[in-house]
Order: sequence, then C-alpha cells, then structure tokens
Amino acid sequence: MIDVKHLSKSFGKNLVLDDISEHINPGEKVVIIGPSGSGKSTFLRCLNLLETPTAGTITFDGTEITDPKCDIDKIRQQMGMVFQHFNLFPNMTIRRNITLAPVRTKLMSPAEADAEAEKLLERVGLMDKIDAYPAQLSGGQKQRIAIVRALAMKPKLMLFDEPTSALDPEMVGEVLDVMKELAHEGMTMVVVTHEMGFAREVGSRVLFMDGGHILEQNEPHEFFAHPKEQRTIDFLSKVL
Amino acid sequence: MDPTALYESFKALEDPGFWQEAYMKFYNAWFYEDRWVTYFQGLLTTVEVTVIALILGVILGVVVATIRTAHDQQRLGRRNPVLGVVNLFCKIYVTVIRGTPMMVQLMIMGFVIFKSSRNFTMVGALSLGINSGAYVAEIIRGGLMSLDPGQSEAGRSLGLGYLDTMRFIVIPQAFKAILPSLGNEFITLLKDTSLISVIAGKEIVYFAKSIVTKTYEAMYPYVITAIMYLILVLIFSWLQGKLERRLRQSDRR
Amino acid sequence: MKKLLTLALAMLMVLSLAACGSSGTTEPSANSATSTEEGAEATDITTVEPGKLILATNCQFPPYEMVADGEGVYQGYEGIDIELATIIAEKLGLELQIDDMDFDSSLLAVQEGRSDILLAGLTYTEERDEVMDFTTKYATGVQVVIVKEGSDVTMDNLGEKLVGTQRGTTGYQYASAAPEDGGFGEDHVLAYDNGATAVQALVNGQVDAVIIDEAPAEQYVAANDGLTILPTAWVEEDYCIAVDEGNTALLDAVQAILDEMQADGTLDAIIAKYISAD
Repeated sequence: MIDVKHLSKSFGKNLVLDDISEHINPGEKVVIIGPSGSGKSTFLRCLNLLETPTAGTITFDGTEITDPKCDIDKIRQQMGMVFQHFNLFPNMTIRRNITLAPVRTKLMSPAEADAEAEKLLERVGLMDKIDAYPAQLSGGQKQRIAIVRALAMKPKLMLFDEPTSALDPEMVGEVLDVMKELAHEGMTMVVVTHEMGFAREVGSRVLFMDGGHILEQNEPHEFFAHPKEQRTIDFLSKVL
Repeated sequence: MDPTALYESFKALEDPGFWQEAYMKFYNAWFYEDRWVTYFQGLLTTVEVTVIALILGVILGVVVATIRTAHDQQRLGRRNPVLGVVNLFCKIYVTVIRGTPMMVQLMIMGFVIFKSSRNFTMVGALSLGINSGAYVAEIIRGGLMSLDPGQSEAGRSLGLGYLDTMRFIVIPQAFKAILPSLGNEFITLLKDTSLISVIAGKEIVYFAKSIVTKTYEAMYPYVITAIMYLILVLIFSWLQGKLERRLRQSDRR
Repeated sequence: MKKLLTLALAMLMVLSLAACGSSGTTEPSANSATSTEEGAEATDITTVEPGKLILATNCQFPPYEMVADGEGVYQGYEGIDIELATIIAEKLGLELQIDDMDFDSSLLAVQEGRSDILLAGLTYTEERDEVMDFTTKYATGVQVVIVKEGSDVTMDNLGEKLVGTQRGTTGYQYASAAPEDGGFGEDHVLAYDNGATAVQALVNGQVDAVIIDEAPAEQYVAANDGLTILPTAWVEEDYCIAVDEGNTALLDAVQAILDEMQADGTLDAIIAKYISAD
C-alpha cells in the first residue's frame, strides 16, 4: 500500500531521516517505537507529506506522492491522521469539526456527513457532545473525536502520531480502546507510540527507529522477547 | 431659557462672574451663528474618512498579509519567483509606511502625488487607508503566525486545500486573536483623521481651528472636539466588545 | 462610585484651570524691567519671564517675518517685524525671544500669557481689539489676490472659485464669512496652516486663488513662475503691534518706542530695506 524508497529528510544541516526504505501492506498495523529524536514522528509525517522529504520517493496505492505534480490533497483524503495534541478546531462545534472536510471535499452531502458523524460518535460513545465545542471536552474525549474526524473521510490508512502522549494516564485507556477496535476491523494503521502494551497486543509488526534509521523490526512477540540489536535492548530495558 | 437671550443678559452685566464668563465663551464657540452645525459637518467628514480609510486599510492589509504569509509558508525548494517579487514590494510598502510619520505621508500625498486633486477629503482618506493597511497587514501576519501550526496541519491532513484551510480554520481563529490589536489600530486611525486638516481636509479639527481664529478662545472648541472624538471611540469600543463577546462563544466551558 | 466622583472633580478642576488660563488675566509676575534708553518712559513693565520679551509670530510671512538662510537679524530669523522687535527689546532693556508658531496659535499665545508681544503682520480689527491691546499702525497691509497667469479669475467672480487663505488671517475671516456677511462662504474657502502652503496649493492647481498680504504675495509671485497678482487690492488694512489686553505699561512703552522710530525715520528705513519702493 505504501512503498518508501531511500527516504531522507534534513532540517537545515540536521539529518533526521537517513535513507529509509520500507513497505507497508494493506491490513498491517505497524507500530513505530524509539527514543525521542529518533525521527519516528518525522517519518510518519513524511508519509502524508506534512514534511517534504529531502530525497527519496513515497508511493501510495501506485501513485508517487513525492512527485511535485501529484495532487496531495486527494491523497491525504485517503489517509487519516491523528495528532499528539488532537488539533481539533476550537472555533467549531464537534459536528462541524467532523463534517467540514467530507463536505468541503465533496465526498459527502451535508446530510450524509451528518449521518456519518452521528454514527461514528455513537460508536465512540460521545453522541451527547455533538453540539459542544472542543474546549468543553476532556483530553481523552478530544482525542476520540479527532479519531472520528479522521475516520469520517473513510480513509484507507490511519496515521497516529503519539496519540496518547499528551493525555492524563486515566484517559489513555479510552483512546487505546477505540484504536484497538479499529484495528480489529481491519484498518491499515501506522502508529508512533510509547505504549508497549498496545504494540504487543495490536501490532502486526514493530519497527524500532534510532538516529534516523530503522534499526530493527519484527513481529511483536519475537521483537519484545528477543531483541537483537544492543540499542533496542537498552531502549526496551528503560521503557518496560 | 433661550441660549441667546441668556447670552445677551450676561453680556449686559457690568462685571460678569466666572460662570457667566464661561457661558459666554461657550456660547461663542457653540451657539453663535449656529457654529454647532460646523462641528457636526466636520464630524460627518471625520466619520466618512475613517470608514473609507478603514475599508481600504483592511483590504490592503489582508492582501499584503496573505502574500507575505503565503510566501513565508512555501515549501522549501519550491519557491515561486513571482510571489517572491510581489512579496518584496509588500515588504517595501510596509517598511516605508511604518518608517515615516503619518503627517509627512499626508503632505506628500496631498501636495506632491495628488497635487492637482481638489478632493482633499478623499486624498486624506486614501493616505490614511494606505497607512493603516501597512499596520493591519502586520497585525494580521502576526495573528496568522501566532496560530498553532497544528491547526492548519490538521486541516491539510484531512485533505482540505490551502484556501479552504485558511478560510475555515486559520482565518476565523486568527481573526479572534487579532481583534483587540485591530481595534486599537482602528481607534488610532479614527484619531489620525484629525491630521488631514493640514491638507485642508475639512474635518472636526479644521472647523475647531477656524472657530478658534474667530473667537480668540481655544478652550471650548478644542474641548468640544475632544469630547466628540471620545464619543466616537466609545461607540467603536462598544461595538468591538460586542463582537469579541460573540466570537468568544466557542471558549465557554 | 467614589473613584468616579474624584475623577469628575479632577476633570472639573482641569477645565476651570484652563478657563482661567484663557480668560486673559496674566498673573502679575514679580519681575519688572526698567527701560534705560532715553525716549522710552521709565515705567515698570511686566513680562511673562523676568528679563525677557517673548515675541509670538509666524515666520512664514515674508518679508515681515521669515526664517533666514543664515544667521538672519536675530536667532536665525529676519524681516520687518523681527527688526522692529529687536529694537523694541533693546530699548526696553529686555532679551528678545522669538517663538515661531502657526499664525492662529500666535494670536492665542499673547492672550493666554505665553508671549508678551505679537508682531506678525497683524491687522487691527475690532474683534481682536476686544481681546488684545493694539498700538497705532506701523505699516499698511494690503491684501491682494494671487492667481495663476492667464486664469479667468477676477475680483468679481472670486466668490465662485475656490480660494486659499492662511488660517486665522483677516483674509480667511472675511472670505469664509457667509455671503450675506460679505464673504464667499466656507465651501469656497480653504484655510492652510501658513501662506506658503496656500501658495503651493495654488501652484498645484488645488485652489484658484490665494488671498494674502501684498508684501509676502510679491515674494511668492517672484519665487514661483506663472503666478500673478490681480491689479486691484482685495482690502487695505492697518498693521499694528499687539500685547495682552490690559498690559498698559508694556503697550505704552512699545507705543513710545514706535513713535520714536516713526519720527526719526528708523521705521521707514527698515520697511524700505525689505520692500522696494514702488
């Protein structure tokens, strides 16, 4: 589904991603872990071109999205993204937060988008908040809404950028539950996270990044049970 | 009692007291020969100039701010050369306007650039609008830049285009953030209209000065003028406050 | 509430102070300077600042007062009024200080006790006499009309045109008066901060004519190509020196010096120096 070839990214003189090649298949749940500054968030943000790669190509469903002629807006409509800080639009109600993009991109009529928003909110148990503003919600509620907002575009792929890092501990569970449910439904997911339990339980593959490289990857049980690289062992001993 | 009759009765006094004297001066500055009409005539021009300059300033400010922000937000390595040139002009405009006094700009506009125009009010409004545009542009640019970049990223990540993201997400939020500074700028603009009297723009100060030269008494005409400005500013602040309260709706918890 | 009341009271005090200031009663200052020169009467005269004679004027009114290119006659200024003021101050034994300001401000400065004496090509009028004290006439002020060469403006159709004036001058006052009072009405008259700006507006074509005193008018016409003065004078007036209403000692002293200069030909010599005889 996504094919990354020789991807590099630098900010000024600082090389953050160094010649990464990777392939993600439909239905996979890829979990990316690694110390901060390892480039994992930048890698994720390159996948929908929120960061422009310095070199290399990214192909999504047969379209080379790094080509300057590519209509990136069309591609992004098929990739949902969830941010660490939720990034809900504070000037709009929850309903409008969810329906704005499907309606503006002509994916749905206003009535269809409304019905879809209600259906999704029902699923995450936040139907009563539909006419509230983001400022009236807790962090966990905001993140669940952010997931709903991305899902309303009916994406083929979901990108999660540390979705639980900004949450109070007691709210982490409710967000992870939604993500797990999504995983069971067969959504293709790429998740940058520090939640090792989630990686073990939901992930189909775990990538360990450090210093701009993917150092090691494996199926979760094997990965956590028998890490091969010394850096991986050091990292896991600190977080587990 | 009729103001004129009162004035005549005080004038007949051998030795008018402090308050009688004060009333006679006020009468000269306000009632005599229906001078109060001139103040309102000037007030009308002041309001007219302010409104024209405000509209012009906002249009200019939005255009300049949009160009400058769009230029600064281009993806690295994909800079548009045309935008670069236009951006340069915008930068020069803002620098020159902010770097020179309003009074000097007004005299250059009135006596050099539009030296054959007799529409002094419009020349004044144009100068003030051009001046205000530079400040409004910087205020808007500041507002756009102060907004969390995550907001526009969220919009773009949903597949919304640059314009839609600006229109629905960035601009409404930036507008709320800059409203207080924008209000300040408009109040400054309103008060700066007083400067157009130097190019013979007939607003309140022009008439107040004229009345002073006829009554040889400065206090009442200038205090009356000050009160009129104050009332205008109070009305404007009240409107601004109302707008701010409306925009704060989404902040309630 | 208490705060509001205090504020209101403070405002009231400020206003009444301002009212006192403009009511024309100058505080009698303790100082007095005695004129030492013979001819001037040896009376005690009161000035705003001890030992100083402060002149209010508008130095954009050649040849009566203007900013000199070099040192000038006094403090970088020159002109008929400047020379007169220099002599007056000298004879009174006072140090002259020239305060250059807009003409309309200079009228107020003397009344409000910020200046002692006003020489600014000032025309005597009855209204002004109510708020200031005047000496006798020292020069004849002729107000003329400057127009562009070849323009169709005449003395008869002046009222239909747009006329530039200097704010506060008699020219402005007469011209801006309502038609029934012999003026052209506000709509036909523009007031500028000084004569030079009014003439600039004429050169630009922003006004059709400028009403101004003859002497400066001649200088402006000489300095700008394509301007001419209408043959008939608009009005003739008396130029006088003014002091604050009620400052009789100063007025008498100045009058005495003026009489003396008129008698010994000093005045004529000064005027001749700036205005070439016709």
